[in-house]
Amino acid sequence: MEKMINFGIDLGTTNSAIAKFVKGEVEVFKNPLETGKETLPSVVYYKKDKVVIGSRARTYFEKDAKNVFGTFKRKMGTTESFKVKNLDQSKTPVELSAEIIKELKGFVHSGEIVDSAVITIPASFDVIQSNATKEAGFLAGLKQVILLQEPIAASLAYANKHKEQDLRNGQWLVYDLGGGTFDVALIRIKDGEMKVLDHEGDNFLGGADFDNLILEEMIVPYLDENFTFNNLEDDLKSEKGKHNALYYKLLLKAEEAKISLSARTSAEIELSDIKDDNDEDIDVSIEITRSEFESLVKECVDKTIEMIKKILVHNSLKPSDIQFTLMVGGSTYIPYVRKRVEEILQIPVNCDIDPTTAIAIGAAYYAGTKEKNFEQELSKKSDGGIKVRFAYQKASQEDEEILAGKIEGNIDGLFYRIIREDKGFDSGIKKLTSRISEDIPLVKDSYNFFRFTIYDDKNNIIETDIELIGIAQGKYNVAGQPLPNDICLQRDSDIDLEGKSTILDRYFEKNTLLPQKRSKSHYLNKTIIKGSNEKIKINILEGPHSSLPEANSSIGYFEITGTQVTRDIVRGAEIEISLEMSESRDLKVIVYIPMSDQQFTKVFNPTQRHTTVENLIDEVDTLNETLESEIKEAVDREDYETAETLNNIKKKVDILINDSNQLTKDDVTDKKYQYEDIKRKIAQEVDNATKDKRISVLKNQYNEDKTWCKKIVDENGNDHDQKLFYEIVSREQAFLNSITPAKIMEAIDEMITLGSNVLWRTPSFLEARFNRLIEKPQLFNDQEQAKSLIESGKLAIANKNFDRLKEINWGLISLLPKNAQSDARTGKIGF
Amino acid sequence: MDLILSIPTLYLRRILTNKMQKKMNEVLIKYPRNYLNILNQIFEIETKLRKISEPNSIQRNIDKLKNIFSTEALSEGQSLFYHNPIGENYNETRTDCDATITGSGHDNLRIVEVIKPIIYVKYGQSQMIVQKAIVIVESKQ
Repeated sequence: MEKMINFGIDLGTTNSAIAKFVKGEVEVFKNPLETGKETLPSVVYYKKDKVVIGSRARTYFEKDAKNVFGTFKRKMGTTESFKVKNLDQSKTPVELSAEIIKELKGFVHSGEIVDSAVITIPASFDVIQSNATKEAGFLAGLKQVILLQEPIAASLAYANKHKEQDLRNGQWLVYDLGGGTFDVALIRIKDGEMKVLDHEGDNFLGGADFDNLILEEMIVPYLDENFTFNNLEDDLKSEKGKHNALYYKLLLKAEEAKISLSARTSAEIELSDIKDDNDEDIDVSIEITRSEFESLVKECVDKTIEMIKKILVHNSLKPSDIQFTLMVGGSTYIPYVRKRVEEILQIPVNCDIDPTTAIAIGAAYYAGTKEKNFEQELSKKSDGGIKVRFAYQKASQEDEEILAGKIEGNIDGLFYRIIREDKGFDSGIKKLTSRISEDIPLVKDSYNFFRFTIYDDKNNIIETDIELIGIAQGKYNVAGQPLPNDICLQRDSDIDLEGKSTILDRYFEKNTLLPQKRSKSHYLNKTIIKGSNEKIKINILEGPHSSLPEANSSIGYFEITGTQVTRDIVRGAEIEISLEMSESRDLKVIVYIPMSDQQFTKVFNPTQRHTTVENLIDEVDTLNETLESEIKEAVDREDYETAETLNNIKKKVDILINDSNQLTKDDVTDKKYQYEDIKRKIAQEVDNATKDKRISVLKNQYNEDKTWCKKIVDENGNDHDQKLFYEIVSREQAFLNSITPAKIMEAIDEMITLGSNVLWRTPSFLEARFNRLIEKPQLFNDQEQAKSLIESGKLAIANKNFDRLKEINWGLISLLPKNAQSDARTGKIGF
Repeated sequence: MDLILSIPTLYLRRILTNKMQKKMNEVLIKYPRNYLNILNQIFEIETKLRKISEPNSIQRNIDKLKNIFSTEALSEGQSLFYHNPIGENYNETRTDCDATITGSGHDNLRIVEVIKPIIYVKYGQSQMIVQKAIVIVESKQ
């Protein structure tokens, strides 16, 4: 149990925050429901069955004034109370403030109980107001509350940030301009003791006024001038006005522009999706410059400066008596505010602390020095024998589900709250009853997790053994089946990277839950002339992506011929292929050719196989060729065992060739499917018989490439290259022992890339490569260009301009026939 | 921008010690802040596109851009995507939207305008909201 209070709370008029002193540093807690935010809007909304606090309550502020309350800090210490229509009772400013503090306690993610805190108050608060703030703290479950004036808190945040500065004696101003309020205080420090000497403020001046000025002085006149509106300003501001929705939209745009102007010298306010009173569409962009903005807010800023002057006069001080003006509050981010205050007062402004959290930070520093002076309960957290049982659908296709719960045990004075883990839903704090029923909204196609938490009346968490509630929406339906095999597109490999063969490009991985959708772009390796019989073949296969294409079964095949395209589709053109597979495994293939802006769609039903006789014969031929070359290779390396296995398979292939050639092209019997199946099984056998061999060939190749790369890196590489090399080597165990040849191929590729990169920075290599390239000038496709490059290359060598030589080498390589290009790049072998 | 996100682990809970569980629950998701700005722009283009009546294939490019964010932009198994909540119901339990109410009523609210969409980062089978939608809502009555 900690001895010090450590927690600091900034209980602000518009926003509040909580921070903690931990081992010399202060942590400001994040708002758990607002990504990236550390503050909580000080607004409370009473619904009939719950309390909502923060930005969602602020949404209803003004619209549901009888149930939503904000800026109640201004009423602290008065007898005024707020009648809550939904509850049919009144709430005091103290009770409302307590709700804010309770909510802030929930920001503390470590789960520790906040039993005492330093709470900040404005310098203007008198004894009654101060006591009211303390009372709010006690009502929220705090056992000890220490008050601290806000300007002192800000000064502490500054002093702790700059410990090196001697601030034992002196005086400065704390200028606090927030969203809706302004305060300024004169601080004096004497022998290390800080005191607020004087203060001024305006409860109705802040950043929100600046947004309004942009709207009223710039946007509305522009719209009035350029479009037809009868009474725009009234229609915007009146609740029943026809442009009331537009008013809020424009205010948001104005705020966005204001924020942007803090970093840039001009901002664009885009106005679109708006119609004027003549039903004309408005789609324009208004530019607002920083100087225009500055002239708009000048009057407001000057008003704050007048208050400072008043303080100076009142205390008989000259600007030179003040060390600096410490800037606090979100609106002090505006460069003009800083500049104007400094210019007029001739006192340097100090913007060293985070204006939005400085007060909470200062409070936490102070709390770190204050000891707790009450008896701490050691075992506050206990479940009190509370048992909770839930009933809910674990998988759903609906947008929301009912969560029903039965609660046993002593539930008097307890509350609950349900929060979705992605931060998209919060039930609010509700009274716990023995049976609860809650509609909880689900995010589509996703796992939705909900956390159910029980609190006491002070918002302290009561620990229970309640598990997370998980509901799968859409595709994660339990009934939804995982894919039994990879789904791949068969395509020609990229010769440079993947060797000279056909490969399986995986779209959906085995065990992925359906439905699935994926698009990939590919590049055509041949030109399809409009009107010709050239074809683009689209073959979708089911089976392991690491095996031979012939070993997998085709689940969708179709062709796009030259007669179907509206223009020539040249080699290298992009082709986008999208596969969609439904839960019932219907396959939809969409092929889009950007060059002709054409789309071809085909749906394949899983109950039908799509095999054409032509395609079958082609594939059997390919299989036969593969098999023959495998047999030859096996014999050559004297691996007679494999050769014999393959020879036995060959007999089956010969029969299959014969049978499949007997089929007519328009065969309607089942035979083509049977043969397709036989082909697939044979290919699987070939794959199994030769997989070991392929892996061992690849292992050898890897070792060769590794030796080659090591030599290059040792001789010409730098530290970074060495590091990259050993990074690949450190993964050897994993990929060399893998049964997937593709993994070894990947590593080979990495080695070659690394070696080539080093070589291409090495002058001797670049020179040798150039000389080698020009040995056979007749090979270049464009003789004219080659000649000019060769001349430039010779010059570059003479001038030792190796960067240029590198470019020339690349230029020459691009003029070589494609099959010679990759070898020329790596410089591994001749061409 | 780094985010430490908590992955719910329903099934691991019982077999892991607290410390181990905490470690496993944390996953580091990194993405440049600008990605959100780009996604907001894509969303705006998509919204404007709905008003173009002439046939075009701009949507295809938009889908492609969105696809890049959902498949390639982040590390394996993580994706960024947005959701446009236009037309959906709004009430005070929705913490995925920052709403402004227009008109006089405040019951039975529906989202009538979306200034910025909800942006999620997805990792494994869970997701986290990284940008709340900014919306204008109006009573259906």
